[in-house]
Amino acid sequence: MTEAPWRLSAAVRARAAAVGLDDDALVHGVALSAYFGHLNRVADAVGVSLDYAVRYPAPHAVPSTPRYELAPAGTDASVGPLALTRRPATAAALDAWRAYMLERDAPLPRAERDAILARVNMHLGGPPGPAGDPLFAELADTVALAPWALGPAAFASLRARGADDALLFDVCVVATTANMLRRIGVALAALSR
Amino acid sequence: MTTTLATTAHAASTGVLREIYERMLERPLPPTYRPAHGGAPGIVVAHSLEPRLIPKVFATSSTLNGAGPLAWPERELVNATTSRLNQCLY
Repeated sequence: MTEAPWRLSAAVRARAAAVGLDDDALVHGVALSAYFGHLNRVADAVGVSLDYAVRYPAPHAVPSTPRYELAPAGTDASVGPLALTRRPATAAALDAWRAYMLERDAPLPRAERDAILARVNMHLGGPPGPAGDPLFAELADTVALAPWALGPAAFASLRARGADDALLFDVCVVATTANMLRRIGVALAALSR
Repeated sequence: MTTTLATTAHAASTGVLREIYERMLERPLPPTYRPAHGGAPGIVVAHSLEPRLIPKVFATSSTLNGAGPLAWPERELVNATTSRLNQCLY
């Protein structure tokens, strides 16, 4: 789900069923993992610190880790038997979130939101879409494909051009929203095949 | 602690953000998830540049973390595995 959701399959679904995880449990796990992927990306983009003391400090992220691989072009994300409609409250919450992030004009113009959405979808096997600002695209790529590389260096080019924190955050959240929603669609389609 | 992008902590918040933080603190939450500092958890504060996004993100959380069929330990396993693969150490 996190690394290559298009590799999920009917065989995975059958293996899950054999250990007692039914289709509703799979839909739950897919949505939860995609959602947590959003939280991971925002935490790393913003650079929040832990809320509590830990005995053993966590290891550092390795920014040079290779990016996640791209899905094959034409990867299916169509709605099948495993669908978010099995969790109506989750579907409604995600729809409100999607509309809020993807259907407005500031601080990021709507056309740039559309371009980031299309680019992130393309990385996950969707069709090519409108091209946007290359620096926004570069940051969106890092958000979607290499969240461990988020940090000051990922923002340097846009900051040098005058981008403020509100705009940088907006670009990151448009990308992570698109990434979360597409991952759910691709994973559920793959499990439904 | 300095963050990479600006944040506004609960104590320094005003207006809409303050109201949203207050509503977030009223949510039913297992004690283990409540930070000892008494303010909003860091992951909520991380969204403070866009206050109106906060209820949307955490309403989604409530639908996923407050209900099954996956049990709490199973949900934590999904969350921890996802975080480890993404190298998120928050």
